[in-house]
Amino acid sequence: MREGALSKKVSRFCMYAFLIVASFISVFPLYWAFISACNNTQQILGGRMIPSTHLMENLTNLFAQQDVWRAMKNSFATTLLQVVLSLAVSSIAGYGFEIYHDKYKDRVMSILMLAMMVPFVAVLVPLFQMFSKAGLLNSWVGFFLPSLATPFLIMYFRNSARTFPKDTIEAARIDGLNEFQIFIKMFIPMMKPTYASAATITFMNAWNAYLWPKVIMQTPDATTMPMLVSNLMGGYVIDYGVVMAGVTLCSLPTVIIFFILQKSFTNGVAGAVK
Amino acid sequence: MKKLVSLFLALTIIVSCGAALAAEDGKITIWTWDPNFNIAAMKVAKEMYNAEHPDVEIVIEEVLSEDIETRVITAASAGDISNLPDIMLIQDNSAQKFILNYPSVYADITGKYDFDGFAEGKLAYSIVDGKNYGVPFDAGTVIAAYRTDYLEAAGYTIADVTDITWERFIEIGKDVKAKTGKPLLTAQAGSVDTICMMLQSCGASMFNEDGSVNFTNNEVCKAALEIYKTMALEGVLVEVNTWDEYCGTFSNGTAGSAINGCWILGTVMGVPDQAGKWALTNMPKMTGFETATNYSNNGGSSWVFTNGTDIDLALDFMKAYRNVDFYNTILPTTSAIGTWAGAKEGSNYTAGNEYFNGDAIFAKIVEFTAQVPANQTGAFYYDARDALGTALTNYINGGDLDTELANAEDTVNFAMGF
Repeated sequence: MREGALSKKVSRFCMYAFLIVASFISVFPLYWAFISACNNTQQILGGRMIPSTHLMENLTNLFAQQDVWRAMKNSFATTLLQVVLSLAVSSIAGYGFEIYHDKYKDRVMSILMLAMMVPFVAVLVPLFQMFSKAGLLNSWVGFFLPSLATPFLIMYFRNSARTFPKDTIEAARIDGLNEFQIFIKMFIPMMKPTYASAATITFMNAWNAYLWPKVIMQTPDATTMPMLVSNLMGGYVIDYGVVMAGVTLCSLPTVIIFFILQKSFTNGVAGAVK
Repeated sequence: MKKLVSLFLALTIIVSCGAALAAEDGKITIWTWDPNFNIAAMKVAKEMYNAEHPDVEIVIEEVLSEDIETRVITAASAGDISNLPDIMLIQDNSAQKFILNYPSVYADITGKYDFDGFAEGKLAYSIVDGKNYGVPFDAGTVIAAYRTDYLEAAGYTIADVTDITWERFIEIGKDVKAKTGKPLLTAQAGSVDTICMMLQSCGASMFNEDGSVNFTNNEVCKAALEIYKTMALEGVLVEVNTWDEYCGTFSNGTAGSAINGCWILGTVMGVPDQAGKWALTNMPKMTGFETATNYSNNGGSSWVFTNGTDIDLALDFMKAYRNVDFYNTILPTTSAIGTWAGAKEGSNYTAGNEYFNGDAIFAKIVEFTAQVPANQTGAFYYDARDALGTALTNYINGGDLDTELANAEDTVNFAMGF
């Protein structure tokens, strides 16, 4: 009995030790970025791990060198729009794939899944060619279109829709709801955790999007936060304090969104795994 | 949930309405990077040109070097270069690769611009098949900046490290190490910057004239690798893992010298406490080669022009890059050192620099620039650098020099499709 209690304690100790180390490894880059935003280049290159008094100086220099407000505005606008549109399109698609019956739907889904395996760089040139011929370069439509419906989100919503009770649909039909009303009034409210976790994932992807926006939007008016941060790294002399201030500002929205949706995100992911 | 969706939609529509796109026509558009360097210089050129031509609209857009390359590749591959700007900055080491691989993009400006006064070694980067494609901008001329306090501790002065050979550099380096405990040179592990500087100082290259890679029959390359290994084993040279750490070796006083492109001065001079402790001279030269000099180049960039745009207008604007006042104006704010020989006449070039004990370092660098031998970069420059980097690391770790160079040559040949 005692031995059992002891081994339980040891295993718990090992588990917590592992979790502490894993958490430290996960959180350390964020901590380092924030600390570095408070230091100047010399201190950062010297490996200083405690904050100094240069945060305001770094932020002032950042705002003086780059149009941060414009980049923030562009990033928020594009990200929020993409989150709303992607969730709307992908959830309807995922719902449709699961609820309605068609003998070819699994094959179509396989093709979609196959598309997920192709790296974006491989389709960059054909996409650019298509959008160029369609006159969509430097346009917001061109910006959003490739990421409007992603195979991952469709698959994610389809998997979640499996847990949606079919009896509810039948009952709703008997009560006189049409298919769209069932989706809006029954499916969406029941799948809130799924929407929350999908929103978090899409927000992160959209916020951090770099390659396609950089290629399709060729004017400084369309600069987003990741582009702004990368611009800070382009010179012969890099002000690492300013770079880290930019990185911290760029990371904050994702962190805030994650904390707001944390509970639903965990439930959503756990639900999808079940 | 419906309310939340409505709120999101309303918010995004309001915010996105403000983000309008700029129109681009009837003007000179320029893509370049670094607001404190290239962009600041272009803004001065723009002001000077607009003072005489107020009707010409000049738009300078900040685009990173890698992003310019991505856009050029995407646009050229898709066959639509209409969105490329009139003028783009290109890294000198990438120039031949891009001009050779995407000939439809870049305009031949041979005979349309006066290249007299530009250093031959610098011009060569943007010359392909005898045709000029670029107007040179900043120098990557190699300088050797030494910590005079470390030299003095070992009984040397800056004169003792001027016009020296690498063998002499190693001797002095050993003395400095013994007296101060500091390595005289630092480098980023796996990087072949130092090797390439040595190669160009002899007018040698990683390639033959026909563009084929040349490591196995390249005596200069072998000698450079041997010198590098000797320095590393003797502790005269210490390798660090990243570029940030390399920069840190100057600010934290680890390195006894900085031998690199003159743009490294921005990093060296970024430590106010070390003012007056540095002196600048030329790099060591290799022995046993008739073409060896104490001058080389590392980095730098040139302006190139997109086919189909208004080249004449763009080149008229680029006359600023043959103007003493232009170089003189940009030097104090950007530290950008021109490669046009006339630049050294500017008062800011001839003035003494306090950080370097009143030495007129900028005029000195322009003089160095004129003596840099030309070398060949080719379309596979970076492939060759990567392969040579692997060979260098293996050689330092005990590998056989000839075998490693043969492997490196095979790697590059594979990349070339042979």
